[in-house]
Amino acid sequence: MHRSGDNVSSLSATPQNRRRWPIAALVVGVGVVLGGCAKNAPQDTFRPAGSNSQRIDNLARPVFYIAGIVGVIVLSVITYCVIKFKDRGQDIPEQTHGNPKLEIALTILPAIILAAIAVPTVVTVFALDKKSDSQCVINVTGQQWWWEYDYTAGNCGGVEITAPIVTAGELVIPAHTNVLLRITSRDVIHSFWIPRLNGKRDAVPGRLSTLRMEASQPGIYTGQCTEFCGLSHARMRQAAVALDTNDFKTWVDNQLQAYKAPDPGSLAATGEATFLAQCSKCHQINGILKPDGTPSLAEPDLYEVSGAAPNLTNLMTRTAFAGWTFDLISDKCRNELWNAKPADFGALYLQGVWMDTPAGATTPVCFNEANLRSWLRNAPAMKPMFSDPTQLASTGGRYRGMPNLNLSEAQIDQLVAFLLERK
Amino acid sequence: MAIIERPSAVPATVGPAGGVSAFVTPSKALGSYRRPVSTTGWKSWVFTVDHKKLGIMYGAVSLFFFLVGGCEALLIRLQLAAPDNTVLSAGLYNEMFTMHATTMIFLFVMPMAAAFANYFLPLQVGARDVAFPRINAFGFWLFLFGGIFLNTSWILGGAADGGWFMYSPNSSALFSPSHGVDFWVLGLQLTGIASLVGAINLIVTVLNMRAPGMKMMRLPVFSWMVLVVQFLLLFALPVITVALFLLSFQRNFGATFFDVNQGADPLLWQHLFWIFGHPEVYIIILPSFGIISEVLPTFARKPLFGYKFVVFSGVAIGFVGWGVWAHHMFASGLGPVTVAVFSVATMLIAIPTGVKIVNWTLTLWGGKLWYTTSMMFAIGVIVLFTIGGLSGVTHAVAPSDTQQTDTYYIVAHFHYVIVGGAVMGLFAGFYYWWPKVFNRLLNERLGRWNFWLMFFGVNLTFGPMHILGLQGQPRRMVVWPSKLTGQGFFNLAFWNKVSTVGSFVLALGVLVFVINIVYVWKKAVPAPLDPWDARTLEWMTASPPKEHNFDAVPTVHSLDEFFHRKYEEVDGEHGPKLVKVKTAEEIMAEQVANADTHIHLPSPSYWPIILAFAFPIIAYGVIFNRVLCVIGAAVLLLAIFGWALEPSVADDSDYDPPADGGESTKELASIV
Repeated sequence: MHRSGDNVSSLSATPQNRRRWPIAALVVGVGVVLGGCAKNAPQDTFRPAGSNSQRIDNLARPVFYIAGIVGVIVLSVITYCVIKFKDRGQDIPEQTHGNPKLEIALTILPAIILAAIAVPTVVTVFALDKKSDSQCVINVTGQQWWWEYDYTAGNCGGVEITAPIVTAGELVIPAHTNVLLRITSRDVIHSFWIPRLNGKRDAVPGRLSTLRMEASQPGIYTGQCTEFCGLSHARMRQAAVALDTNDFKTWVDNQLQAYKAPDPGSLAATGEATFLAQCSKCHQINGILKPDGTPSLAEPDLYEVSGAAPNLTNLMTRTAFAGWTFDLISDKCRNELWNAKPADFGALYLQGVWMDTPAGATTPVCFNEANLRSWLRNAPAMKPMFSDPTQLASTGGRYRGMPNLNLSEAQIDQLVAFLLERK
Repeated sequence: MAIIERPSAVPATVGPAGGVSAFVTPSKALGSYRRPVSTTGWKSWVFTVDHKKLGIMYGAVSLFFFLVGGCEALLIRLQLAAPDNTVLSAGLYNEMFTMHATTMIFLFVMPMAAAFANYFLPLQVGARDVAFPRINAFGFWLFLFGGIFLNTSWILGGAADGGWFMYSPNSSALFSPSHGVDFWVLGLQLTGIASLVGAINLIVTVLNMRAPGMKMMRLPVFSWMVLVVQFLLLFALPVITVALFLLSFQRNFGATFFDVNQGADPLLWQHLFWIFGHPEVYIIILPSFGIISEVLPTFARKPLFGYKFVVFSGVAIGFVGWGVWAHHMFASGLGPVTVAVFSVATMLIAIPTGVKIVNWTLTLWGGKLWYTTSMMFAIGVIVLFTIGGLSGVTHAVAPSDTQQTDTYYIVAHFHYVIVGGAVMGLFAGFYYWWPKVFNRLLNERLGRWNFWLMFFGVNLTFGPMHILGLQGQPRRMVVWPSKLTGQGFFNLAFWNKVSTVGSFVLALGVLVFVINIVYVWKKAVPAPLDPWDARTLEWMTASPPKEHNFDAVPTVHSLDEFFHRKYEEVDGEHGPKLVKVKTAEEIMAEQVANADTHIHLPSPSYWPIILAFAFPIIAYGVIFNRVLCVIGAAVLLLAIFGWALEPSVADDSDYDPPADGGESTKELASIV
């Protein structure tokens, strides 16, 4: 390569230093950025907690390192040029038009690097699409603005599920098990993402996509809908909860237990009547009977654009509600649960809102009553939804999300008492 | 004194060629249809067909929309400064990020590139104007009306709220009941037509109107990149036009193209959108690549390293850019074969992109670097685009992308590319060409503040977004809960705050630029003729260039023609040495001495702006009242007929008598 600056005499340090400080600041800045990551961010993509996310991590990390090294080299060369070839009164350089050999070499080099990245990429793409080793299949359906999980009857990671289970928000799976999610949507496109367990998969209406899930140890792994899905996209969250086989069996059995009606004459019993009058058009509670003794069946398809509303049969076994946005447990108990050791996690989780509650006590210590009451008082005020009756011209009168039911405080008391027993 | 034949002396010929023909002079052609002739005042701008005036207007309007889009960005960053913040409501936030992207892409970067292309492409190829001057004017007015139309949605029931990608079915009337999406669809149709006619115009200009000796491989790189971009526009815009029509018909006329209940596949929209949308990325970035490929050699005082490689890699990017669109859809569930193919294709496009970075860096190597503000912006582009390009490689790896897509990591990536690459490149162009366009040098001291504030602003705003995204913060979310920010001092709440502070530093940098414009405007000190010792043809004429660009159309003998007219190689003590043999003023004087005696220029016209005005009327009609469609169509028809029947040149008697009392009524400007 031709260099014309060879005969330039050495220079005083001062102007060079003046030029160098911004570059030094940049280097320090980049260092701070790289070193300054949050600790224990719940959705950190660099903390894989399962075989699929680990596979992605194994592929992505070297790519980051290669990109980093290439970046440092390129930026160093630029910095060198900027300092070395500054105009110090040297001659106008020879008007060279390039160096074909060098250019071909510098074209082939990145091609080789990229080829080296491409091979493991393709291998990983196919590995992550594998379906034949699945030990459990769960249907996942997105709608504005929550996720529904539908466990078909059958064997799931060694646990026999005798009847279908329908839940919302919190996906409970057996740990150390290859779970296959079958994902679709009832309205617009959503995307299911539990960063610590796998990458994203869009939920596209009219299409069925699959996503592998495996958690290497019990714990709670949070996620978020990542395809923009309208007004409350930011409040469409989810979590995967991984339990040991025994704990998972306990959870399954609990979900399938028969409906226990509240004690006659109790506040909860009044709540049951209020539920049937106010909530059961959309929300299903399995086994609940109407006053005439027939089963109450929700018909959300008549009232909701998506045709679905969360099943509330075992609401109190979940730790959050309304698109997994608002906690059903207090901040303190949530921290306790999220930071629990894998060995202790299952037992804590299965206690749910009754965590830390002394034996014999009638009210759960961990229950976040304020959130639930606030929701019942005016749901759209907590989470923006298209559920104002004046907004429904484009939907033929159907809601998108839960409307404000204008419940009285007395009705709210009754409903809270009733729902607290859905455990 | 030469004659500038603005109104042609040759009468229009009707009748069979070679046979008995009737001569019709312009003044008799449909009596009342006359062409406007003002060379001063507002009429000289509104009815102009001069590529330079249109370029300036493109620039001024784009700069205005840049400030609008910037304010939208600041509101977004204010909302995200703290967890669970309440600066914007969910609905308004969705409108804000939709319009921020739409404004920045369609109303700032694209038309600002069009401003540079309009102004400098004819000058760089040695032409007197573009191939179709009236269509050029029509394109500008339609862009302006389209941009205004799009933004009136804010006061007419709310802006579009579906994101700039406007995925179906969320964009249907069922899920987005306001008129926002209608405004968005029709506004983009309008600006799309503007870009499309502009593309054809510039392609023909480059292919047909180059000065003698200006072979394609002597074309300045900026003109080359503009040419590639126009071909991308030519083929990409029809795709989005079709997609927008389908959506428009679905929303306004009950069609069911994207209605899942009627058997539609929502992925149809995604394919159509990204087949347009990915070439669009290169439409945005290549003009700036062209600009810095002019700026770097000028201030390094040596030719672009590997001109042919840079041109070829630009063309290669233009081709391969068509084969990578599905990398925006890696999470859509396309199946492993498709994902693998598009993943590898995406890595492929990194190669020609890398070639450019290598060539720019080697242009600096061994140079005599003069750090003007323009040069600093150009070097800033290499640095920031390298970072943006490398983060791009990390999500060419499809499995890695499924973790990164739709998170702030992507936001960081494309802002490094678009702000760090495209926008900083445009700023390099502002500082480089300002003296050519306005005969004023932008202030260098303010320029330095402008550069460093923007450079640090970009890194402060978008640097932390890499962390935010990789640590799990998705994009397009109005709130981010504190329980997901993680622990430690450097948690996600901290980085969100840094990013917000950075956005204001960036905004301050832009403000300094605006101050700089006003400052040099007021100060009114004329710039030197050739302030940068430049290399290409646009500097071989007056500043600002005369209406006819060149007194004598130059004959081109080499790449960097202007430089080689100024410098010659002589034998020195240590081998050959470059010596300046002529100044720019001397070369100008030669030009004047050899001025062409007949200079043909297009006449101004009323019809481009009238024709353009018909489109927003029709668009409002589609949304509010079909009667307006009929009115708009009538204006459209009238304008087309007026355009077609307009005499090809203005009548001689329409012009004022020459100021110097000469006899020729065709004399419009002195070129001595």
